[in-house]
Amino acid sequence: MARILYIEDIQDNITFVEKIVKSRGHEFLFERSAESGLATAIAQKPDLILLDLGLPDADGQTLSVWLRSNPSLSTVPIVVLTAWTEEVARQTVNAYNLNGFLCKPFTLAALVEMIDSVLGKEPI
Amino acid sequence: MTIEVIPADNYTIEELTELYNQTRVDYLVPMPMNADRLREYIHDYDVDLHHSCVARNADGQVLGLSMLGFRHQTGWVTRLGVLPASRRTGTGTALMDSMLENAEKLGAKEIHLEVIKNNDPAHTLFLKKGFLEIYTYLVMRRAPRPVTEPPTSEVTWLDLDNALDKLDYYPLHLTWINAFESMRNSQNMEGLHITLPNGSSGWLVYRNTELKLRSTLSHLIIHTEQGDPTEVGIQLLSHLHARYPSHDTYAENIYDHDLHLPAFHTLGYFNNFSRIEMRRPF
Repeated sequence: MARILYIEDIQDNITFVEKIVKSRGHEFLFERSAESGLATAIAQKPDLILLDLGLPDADGQTLSVWLRSNPSLSTVPIVVLTAWTEEVARQTVNAYNLNGFLCKPFTLAALVEMIDSVLGKEPI
Repeated sequence: MTIEVIPADNYTIEELTELYNQTRVDYLVPMPMNADRLREYIHDYDVDLHHSCVARNADGQVLGLSMLGFRHQTGWVTRLGVLPASRRTGTGTALMDSMLENAEKLGAKEIHLEVIKNNDPAHTLFLKKGFLEIYTYLVMRRAPRPVTEPPTSEVTWLDLDNALDKLDYYPLHLTWINAFESMRNSQNMEGLHITLPNGSSGWLVYRNTELKLRSTLSHLIIHTEQGDPTEVGIQLLSHLHARYPSHDTYAENIYDHDLHLPAFHTLGYFNNFSRIEMRRPF
């Protein structure tokens, strides 16, 4: 079981991802802002961070810089879940040294595959 | 549906923030705000809340909002949005009509706005209301990364007043968010001026936001006084990023034919999206 933190401000997206993460037997944490997301990441040391790029207090790119610059989080995988286009998402992941992306709307299967892949597990 | 449009100052900043975010849940470019950011936005961009509008139905339920900035007989429409469930009901048209009416009441001779490229419903509405496309602008990002080629030019760093002096003489058009008044209002503007050994010179001004989560550089405006814009631009941006190696950078509204674009790309900037500036005379 892994601990997965989702940083996202839209409740419908949180509910959707929570169901998928819990159905795979993982622990699910979420925060709705960049500042609270950073605080929870530092306190809870998640195994994976799922990150929305549009957050109300600072955008996800800026938050990823802060997450990466914290020594205890520098190697935690970060996967972007975003409404941006695939091209922008890809460039963002490359530029900000992140671990993957899914463009919204994404399927249940795509998220499961991404989580398993990043956590180094074979899909069930 | 009966749509009533009332001044936005009937609502608190927190209520307007919540409404604005709800209008953007499915937007092409996700840009939610919190109340502090909206307050800063209203201040920096001279948004007049009394002449900004909230649309609501006969039951008093909010449907959408639009904000109006005003300076020098020019209006600026911003943050226009309609809740997803209330689209195609005439709410956007009602808000836009109120913006035009309010701008005219304030004595506007022209009204401006920017629309995100490929936001077809909004673009169509603005064309119907008599707006014309003027320029296309790029919004670019740069992640913190080392500057590979150290700058070789002589640099002078500029404080707010000196940076504003440079910007005051900028010869080209600036959009509302990068205009002199916006940069002055922000109070976190800085700049640099360089001279190269071959006599080329230029300057760059920008906003440096040093908050807990927002150590960012933004609102970059770059100008070559003499010489090749690519060479001068690379030197300016190299100085900037060598000085602030950990800052995330967001360059908004760079003209899509700006001669410094090769310099931006050399320093690792990539395009996020494009905006079209539109204007309508009265």
